[in-house]
Amino acid sequence: MADTPRRKWVGKSIRRLEDPKLLAGEARYIDDVHESGMLHAAVLRSPYAHARIKRIDTSRAKALPGVVAVVTGKEAAVLAGPVPAFCAEPVVQHAIAIEKVRFAGEAVAAVAAVDRYVAEDAIDLIEVEWEPLAVVSDVESALRPGGPLVHENLGTNLVFGRTLTFGDVKGDFARADRVVRRRLRWPRVAAVPLETAGAVAKYERTSRRMTVWANTNMYHYSAMPFAGTLKVDPNKFSIVPVAVGGSFGSKHLLSKVITIAGILSKASGRPVKFMEDRIDNLAASDSHASDRSYGAELAVTADGRFLSLRIDVVDDYGAYFQFGQTSHGNYLSQVTGPYTIGSVEITLKAVLTNKCQQMVYRGAGSEVNNWVLEALVDTAARQLGMSPVDVRRKNLIRPEQFPYKIPTGNYYDSGNYAGVLDLALRMVDLDRWRQEQARLRAAGRYIGIGLATCQQRSVYSATEFWFWYEKPGFPVTATPEGVTVRIGQSGQFTVSLNSPFWGNSPETVVAQVLAEEFGIDPSTVSVLYEDSLRALPAAGPGGSRLTVMLAGAVTGASRKLKDKIFRIAAHLLEASPQDLVLADGKVSVAGVPQRGLTLADIAANAHFFKMSLPAELETGLDASHTYDHPFTTPPSADRSDLGAFYPIVAHAAHVPVVEIDIDTGLVKFLDYVAVHDCGTMMNPAALDGQIAGGIAQGIGTALYEEFVYDSEGQLRTASLLDYLLPTAAEVPSIRIGHQETPSPYTPYGLKGSGEGGRMVAPAAVANAVQDALAPLGVEVSELPITPDRIVRWVREAQARR
Amino acid sequence: MKPPAFRYVDPRSVADAVGHLQEHGGGAKILAGGQSLLPLMNLRLVRPQVVVDINRISALAYIRETDGVLALGGLSRLHAVVGSDAVTRRAPLLAEAAAHVGHLAIRHRGTIGGNLAHADPASEIPAALLALEGEVVATGPRGARTIAVADLFRGPLSTALDPTELLTEVRVPITPPGCGSVFLEVSRRAGDFALAGIGVLLQRDGEQCARVRIGVCGVGGTPLRMREAERILERSGVTEDTLRAAARAVEHAVAPSDDTQASADYRRHVAGVLTVRALRQAWQRAGREGR
Repeated sequence: MADTPRRKWVGKSIRRLEDPKLLAGEARYIDDVHESGMLHAAVLRSPYAHARIKRIDTSRAKALPGVVAVVTGKEAAVLAGPVPAFCAEPVVQHAIAIEKVRFAGEAVAAVAAVDRYVAEDAIDLIEVEWEPLAVVSDVESALRPGGPLVHENLGTNLVFGRTLTFGDVKGDFARADRVVRRRLRWPRVAAVPLETAGAVAKYERTSRRMTVWANTNMYHYSAMPFAGTLKVDPNKFSIVPVAVGGSFGSKHLLSKVITIAGILSKASGRPVKFMEDRIDNLAASDSHASDRSYGAELAVTADGRFLSLRIDVVDDYGAYFQFGQTSHGNYLSQVTGPYTIGSVEITLKAVLTNKCQQMVYRGAGSEVNNWVLEALVDTAARQLGMSPVDVRRKNLIRPEQFPYKIPTGNYYDSGNYAGVLDLALRMVDLDRWRQEQARLRAAGRYIGIGLATCQQRSVYSATEFWFWYEKPGFPVTATPEGVTVRIGQSGQFTVSLNSPFWGNSPETVVAQVLAEEFGIDPSTVSVLYEDSLRALPAAGPGGSRLTVMLAGAVTGASRKLKDKIFRIAAHLLEASPQDLVLADGKVSVAGVPQRGLTLADIAANAHFFKMSLPAELETGLDASHTYDHPFTTPPSADRSDLGAFYPIVAHAAHVPVVEIDIDTGLVKFLDYVAVHDCGTMMNPAALDGQIAGGIAQGIGTALYEEFVYDSEGQLRTASLLDYLLPTAAEVPSIRIGHQETPSPYTPYGLKGSGEGGRMVAPAAVANAVQDALAPLGVEVSELPITPDRIVRWVREAQARR
Repeated sequence: MKPPAFRYVDPRSVADAVGHLQEHGGGAKILAGGQSLLPLMNLRLVRPQVVVDINRISALAYIRETDGVLALGGLSRLHAVVGSDAVTRRAPLLAEAAAHVGHLAIRHRGTIGGNLAHADPASEIPAALLALEGEVVATGPRGARTIAVADLFRGPLSTALDPTELLTEVRVPITPPGCGSVFLEVSRRAGDFALAGIGVLLQRDGEQCARVRIGVCGVGGTPLRMREAERILERSGVTEDTLRAAARAVEHAVAPSDDTQASADYRRHVAGVLTVRALRQAWQRAGREGR
């Protein structure tokens, strides 16, 4: 990069356009949606993890005053088919269970009543006769031959298994001087947004239209299948986005929430709202995340070079498989991290058990692989007697090696990883902390300095949804984002988004891009959100794509608009379009600024004065643009090369410093430095917020959160008293640094950054605890690192000595 | 998470409140701060026919000092307890323990009477009051009676209070000069219930330990007084050896159980760790107090 282009708005920490309405309570969330005559739903949930429904009697519930509709699974099946799923296997799921339940919390019946109180009273009156079945409580019991099956039609609980090999893994392991091995356990956690999932469905019987308001996301992909599920013509089925109070990946589909609201609206003939309460959300959100056991091996040379990586992973998916093994496709984009590792092999076993099923959660599986890789790297350093810094430096991809193709076939666009590492170490002052660590250790105190250097892939291509399959069910290859930009009669800009507001900054992003492109004040841009019937193709927020994709869409629409603006201006100014320049909201003849027209002048002509326009131009001044993925290629048929599918790759180094009280097992942060390189920054303040929030969630995964199921498949952490989200008191103040290495493939050189904090924090925090406890002989192999576990590990290590 | 229908009354006097309790017996629940009752009602784990809201009985919110005793009205908010000059000076252990209850918002609503009557075995206030040898006044149809805090707790969420009684006052002997007190706990997050907590009141006479009282929470079905540990210290003073012996005695005396936050083993171990730390700190504080 010779010179950094001068930009006025991209890269500036302008105030977010979204914030005032959020802070003033003017944003419309799903629970703010009220339709005339609207009913409220509640769901009867299974007390058993695995049981047959022998008999169900809803007559007392139906007789309760205020109850309008009660539906069992059998009754619901008349109104709706199975809910949408994106796996290739016949793992059929209904919004309300029909013959048997497969996890504790699965819906058994649903009620629509005049209010939620009456609806819950009615739930109490439904009688079910159960035949409890043997419970598949973990992957060991799931894979035991002859054991109970979650889905009998599959004939096995191993819903998917495959080994993918990239490069000469055997040869590289044979050449290695040493193989570093770890067995690691990543806990079942979830995004747990403060706003639960919800939907309002309104079915109009005469027109057979259904309108659904929901805090979901991917309606470009899901609206058509939802219409099929609810037996409504696709052109009469509309999903209307609302402001979302946090998703972090958990609300991509909401297949059951939407379907239950739709079924009840059909059954009652009235609009119906179904809001998950906290128990619904924790126990039955269909959005638990990775629950993995690993055997991982890193082949290294005696002088510390990494040759090859072998990963054996078993993932406990719960009772259904709605998104297939997507979260294992995700990390194949960056499985070898920022290191020059020549080959890699992954063996995946995806297992069904009697638990809530998985969705994706900020990181989408890549945060898990980052932890596995960084644990291996630190172990390699210890075994080789090298420092964690030196062993990384030796293996980091160098700036001149980009674009860099990793063994799986994905590309890394650009980077300067050593630069990020240097800045992080400078900011934290590593040498001082190492001295302090030694001094305090002599006094019986345990300080740990963690280091993780991780990739944060961004801008996914939809091929990641299916390339694990030899025969994918629906090999989608479009990952678009469309926008419409309208310049109104007075020259004001209005943008229509085709994806919802999910807590990130889409309005701010489009305003900054338009300000950059047209020289206007970004605070004057107005942003609307389209429903699914009006929307252009768009995949929405997810996979850290939206900032990059919206920038592509808005710059594309801007090009079209500028072309028309210049043609109108050239006509009015009697100049050639090539001689015109656009700056500060004005078009003028280059070098003759007084010979010009404001955008308002041009817009007025475009809208009102057809006879002033060149004859071939239409009235109006608007443009739509659908930006497709900037760099994606198909996977090879044999999957030895997955193609480019996540090639816009940011990077980060985190260095937390912790002190551990080994008698109580409590972990205290003394410092936390995070340096990110997300290419060109769109809005540094908003980026800092993304990083800090992601780190908070990463600390949750590392130290606090876990869904605990007992041997009967009962969820023992079904409230926020038991499922421990970190609060402001548990999250330290985070010092953030930035480096900017632009991407060659995206507008302005942007890279995605939405998941970065959580991509790195679990690995960094675990390595910090590991560093503190290493002198005691403790190996951190399991998250979350609870006080109980630390005390136990220390005792076990002392007993071994 | 909505409660079933219930009747709601909001009496303006203790007599009226007791009248409602008498009328409905076990079917009534007293609403004070509501920080435990309302979640239980919303989960439909508790289904009162009548909710007796005592928040309008303003005569029950007081903190005053009389005849060597600190008296706190049952409706005293925990926030007021933490911030009370009288409590901070006359029974600092209670103020210190109260600061560990939940978060600020919870302490603004939660009351000392409600905290005790709810009898959560992991709650901090009961352990502190055991160490302080406090008592409560229960007012029922036949008038008021006094119950030692040591006799109040029968089991998890179970007390010696009759369903027709209202906990109207908490009485705490004023901590004499020469005492040091400490409340320590380990919890997963700030504001969570204690995995193990300990309240210590220690009276020092030079290098002798004249009197020590220890209450623990989170390590049994009720808060527990640690009498064996007290005897060890009163007999042999505070040394590294007696601290260790006291910790062993506490580990032996507690009866914790497993849950998803921590194992019984961990809670037992940490009760011992906290014993040493709390006693050492109380000893130091008492020394400063004595000078």
